[in-house]
Amino acid sequence: MSRQASGLMAWLMQRATAVYLAFATSYLVVHFFFNAPASHADLVAWVTRPAVAVGLILCVPVLLAHAWVGVRDVLIDYVHVLGLRVGLMLVFGFVFLASGLWSLKAIITAGLGG
Amino acid sequence: MKISVYRFNPDTDTKPRMQDYEVKTFQGMMLRDALLEVKKQDESFSFRHSCGEGVCGSDAVNANGRNVLSCVTPITELKSPILVRPLPGRPVIRDLVVDMTQFYEQYRAVKPYLVRKDPLPEQEILQSPADRDKLDGLYECILCGCCSTACPSFWWNPDKFHGPAALLQSWRFLADTRDQATEERLDALEGPYKLFRCHSIMNCVEVCPKGLNPTRAIGHIKELMLDKGL
Repeated sequence: MSRQASGLMAWLMQRATAVYLAFATSYLVVHFFFNAPASHADLVAWVTRPAVAVGLILCVPVLLAHAWVGVRDVLIDYVHVLGLRVGLMLVFGFVFLASGLWSLKAIITAGLGG
Repeated sequence: MKISVYRFNPDTDTKPRMQDYEVKTFQGMMLRDALLEVKKQDESFSFRHSCGEGVCGSDAVNANGRNVLSCVTPITELKSPILVRPLPGRPVIRDLVVDMTQFYEQYRAVKPYLVRKDPLPEQEILQSPADRDKLDGLYECILCGCCSTACPSFWWNPDKFHGPAALLQSWRFLADTRDQATEERLDALEGPYKLFRCHSIMNCVEVCPKGLNPTRAIGHIKELMLDKGL
């Protein structure tokens, strides 16, 4: 049985990442609504707390994986010209990768006191 | 009552148009009766119908933007003027008659019949009442096509996505304890298209004239895939 690839796993990944994102988004909304950092220094201090840093670092690949499955679904549904679909997938892939690396750098830099 | 129906004859028309008719109503009148009245007034008008009792599934149309089975849809439930169009997303053959070939091909692809590997017994294959109950809400489908032609995923990929009607039947045989092709059926549904184009939009549930729930059946297939695959 080879049921690993594009159907079941993509669907499972989207649902599993959605659970994490639901908790993470709820926490972020509540935190920024009731206890928003007053300054950049406060924000950096909050980000460098170990639990928050780990949560945010985990959030980046989880969010990108979720977004990738969603974008792939949209492209499969609506873009039927193969070349255009592959091109758009590459564009989104590079944008997601760059966004992910930049986000991780920002979190790690804050943790290192940069 | 005013009824406006979609007219298109590919032999003579360059583009479709809506044509208005005035129809005399009576108590208990169904949409099919109104279409038959239109047919009396204008013999060139075409639509499919047969049993008139919600059994054959021939007369599915789109009335006021919603897919319905016209023989079981009272006109009192429809806002006047009634706009009747063919099922969406299907090529129009003429007026309300659409080409359902892809719909039937997708149905055929899920092997909607029992597959046995063991030698067939001389008598019937018995089921417990509980196992038989699992087929309720699945076997009643009359293949009218209301669900699949209301499904955006089927509109975009009718050649690759099985659609709600076929997937309901896929689960009907996966759920059947007499069937012995579970692995093969699940393997055949893998990939991004056949099953996983369903995004749980649930238009299928909304429009099914038999009150069936293809979205739930699709969910059961995914659960079974997880169960057998992980």
